[in-house]
Amino acid sequence: MAFADLSRSRPVRAAGIARPSWSNLLFVLPFLLLYAGLLVYPLFQGMWMSLHDYDLLSGESEFLGLANFIKLFRNSIFLGTVRNTLWFVAMTTPAFVVLGLALALALNRASRTGAVLRFIFFGSSVLSVTIVTLVWRMVLRPDKGLIANVLEWFGLPPVPFLIDVHLALPSIAGVTVWWIVGLPMMLFLAALQQIPQEIYEAAKLDNAGWWRTLFSITLPSIKRTVILVAVIEIVLQFQLFGQAQIMTQGGPNNSSRPIVLFIYESGFRDWRLGYAAAAAQILFFLMLVAASLQLWLGRRRQGGEA
Amino acid sequence: MLKTRLAGALALTTLAMPLAFTAPAASAAPVEISFARFFGACEGDYGTSTDVPAARGECGIITTLINKFNADNKGEIVVKPQIMEWNTYYDQLTARIVGHDVPTVAVMHMAQLGDYVNRKVVLPLNDLFKEAGIDAGDFTDAATNGVTVNGKIYALPWDTHSWLWHYNVGLMKKAGLTDADGNPVVPKSLDELKAQAKKFKEATGKPLIAISTTQDVAGPARNFYTLLYQQGGTVFPDGPDGDANFSSPEAKKALQVWADLYKDGDLTPALDYEGATAGFINGNAGVYICGTWLIDSYMEAAAKKDTGLSDGYYVTAFPTLLGKPAIWADGHSWVLLKGGLNDDNKAATLKFLKYLYDNNLQWARTGHLSIRKSVIDSAAFQDLPFRKNIKIISEVARTLPAGTPRQFGIQQIVGEEFDNVMLTGKSVDDALADMQGRVNELVSAAR
Repeated sequence: MAFADLSRSRPVRAAGIARPSWSNLLFVLPFLLLYAGLLVYPLFQGMWMSLHDYDLLSGESEFLGLANFIKLFRNSIFLGTVRNTLWFVAMTTPAFVVLGLALALALNRASRTGAVLRFIFFGSSVLSVTIVTLVWRMVLRPDKGLIANVLEWFGLPPVPFLIDVHLALPSIAGVTVWWIVGLPMMLFLAALQQIPQEIYEAAKLDNAGWWRTLFSITLPSIKRTVILVAVIEIVLQFQLFGQAQIMTQGGPNNSSRPIVLFIYESGFRDWRLGYAAAAAQILFFLMLVAASLQLWLGRRRQGGEA
Repeated sequence: MLKTRLAGALALTTLAMPLAFTAPAASAAPVEISFARFFGACEGDYGTSTDVPAARGECGIITTLINKFNADNKGEIVVKPQIMEWNTYYDQLTARIVGHDVPTVAVMHMAQLGDYVNRKVVLPLNDLFKEAGIDAGDFTDAATNGVTVNGKIYALPWDTHSWLWHYNVGLMKKAGLTDADGNPVVPKSLDELKAQAKKFKEATGKPLIAISTTQDVAGPARNFYTLLYQQGGTVFPDGPDGDANFSSPEAKKALQVWADLYKDGDLTPALDYEGATAGFINGNAGVYICGTWLIDSYMEAAAKKDTGLSDGYYVTAFPTLLGKPAIWADGHSWVLLKGGLNDDNKAATLKFLKYLYDNNLQWARTGHLSIRKSVIDSAAFQDLPFRKNIKIISEVARTLPAGTPRQFGIQQIVGEEFDNVMLTGKSVDDALADMQGRVNELVSAAR
């Protein structure tokens, strides 16, 4: 009897595994709804909008096909913003990885000084973009700015950081790195603390030097975090907006206008929502390519070494 | 335990609900008017002050005017200012209209009005003015033109503002550029201005003229427009529906004059608006080219000891340097947006508009020109300092052709290219070509 019961219960259990229970969907439904409503729908709506001449204020729209994209590729101001944005990402992302790692290595210690310095370096990240950029404008301005005053003290002429076509974007990049280098530093610190101390002790017993330890133990152990930081920063820095808007308004001569500022101006100042959406699609595509490339490179390197 | 607390909370809420619904009816809450504006925030100085005649500057006067209205209508009407930064004011206002978060009364430049009216988001006011007792026949011609679109009035004009030369009398005197009365000698031609600039630099070591060329597009565009208009030039020779033309000899000359002055060191280098406005009080130049709104603030600074203006301040309309008198002008006005006015707040809003109309002289103390003929002709207005020097503006004020779309977008492009010539050495021809290409791209997309 007991045997018969057991044999009867088996097919039931097997069927339970094979047949998905749709009631489980209820558990992920809230997330899926939010995800679909706040991310998937706007994403596709943006794509649809980019094919229209869509007036922000009147809400009227007219189907244009790819005309917005053709116009964008003929617009020298927009092409300038693409160049500026790529150049900005190229300047800041390596700086975040290298500086973040260097700070993490230097401050990865249990001492009180280490804790204080970690707090200081991370402290700037909690400030809002407005505060950071206003402070730095005061530092960088050629009339009565902090740096100009110091230079004047040495009898040197002021440097027009934010009004020189060659210096404006690098200055914004410098301020950005100063502002949020704390996050990569924290990520690297977390990764460094995951490395078992025994490996370092073994290396010490083998008389391995600091550089040797860094390249043979530390870096290979935190490779995933390096990729993570690079991808996060690529995605973040492609979206440069506030610093450029407040510090230079994209000038001089379009030398520091990023794509997002162009999107903002087209959409909100000029009310050309379709045109702005088309520029946003191009930004999305660029970010997708850059982040995928970085991930692919990271995986390939890992695969090669495995 | 949790259940008990929940039950308690529910019971309290149930008890409170009828109270919440009955409370406002019992005390008849005052009608609220949301009032979107720029002109700055100055609660620190004028937080509760209702002494309008004692207030100084744009912010002080508008703040005390509202405080006074609220005090006079206590318990009935309360005007709640929503103060925004002027640079991004229209972006925010547009976003609010699209998001159906519409203020009852909002400030709007006359140059912007057409774009909003064309999208049918602004209410026509002809009938409401009659209801409120506002006499549109008393508006000046400049104000009437500025608020009229397709034959209907869409805004209550508030001022006509224009472009002036603010003088540091102490520095001008030092350079020997004052007349027998001690007033600065205002140049009557470009050559005379250049001679003055040379003399000024030799005597003081400073540039004669301060202008903002960094992070500012409005001021630079006004400088360009004024010299263009003085030569009889225009940006839209075929009217507002035609293409923009920046390749005329007049446009080239208008930009070239500024480029030469900058190159010769007769303009302050690389100042933003705040830097130029504050720098003038510190005595950085003999002349600051800026708007009517600064007159009262500079008079206040000149009355203080130990400022760069302590030795005297003087102001006059932008002098005629090329050809005939003409000066850029615009105006502030108040609009009622669709969705902001309803049966509950209509009477209160009309009372508030009438109050603003009645107090236009107070606003004219800032330096702006009044929009009421009766005020301009009044002794009270004419006794305000320097008004004789700027009265000419009502005759020579020039704007882009009425109905030109995207005037602030055009101003952004013209100002940016003007700054590029000054700051980056971009050639005048390249800048004008870019102005033309960019402005035409913008207006071709406008409906």
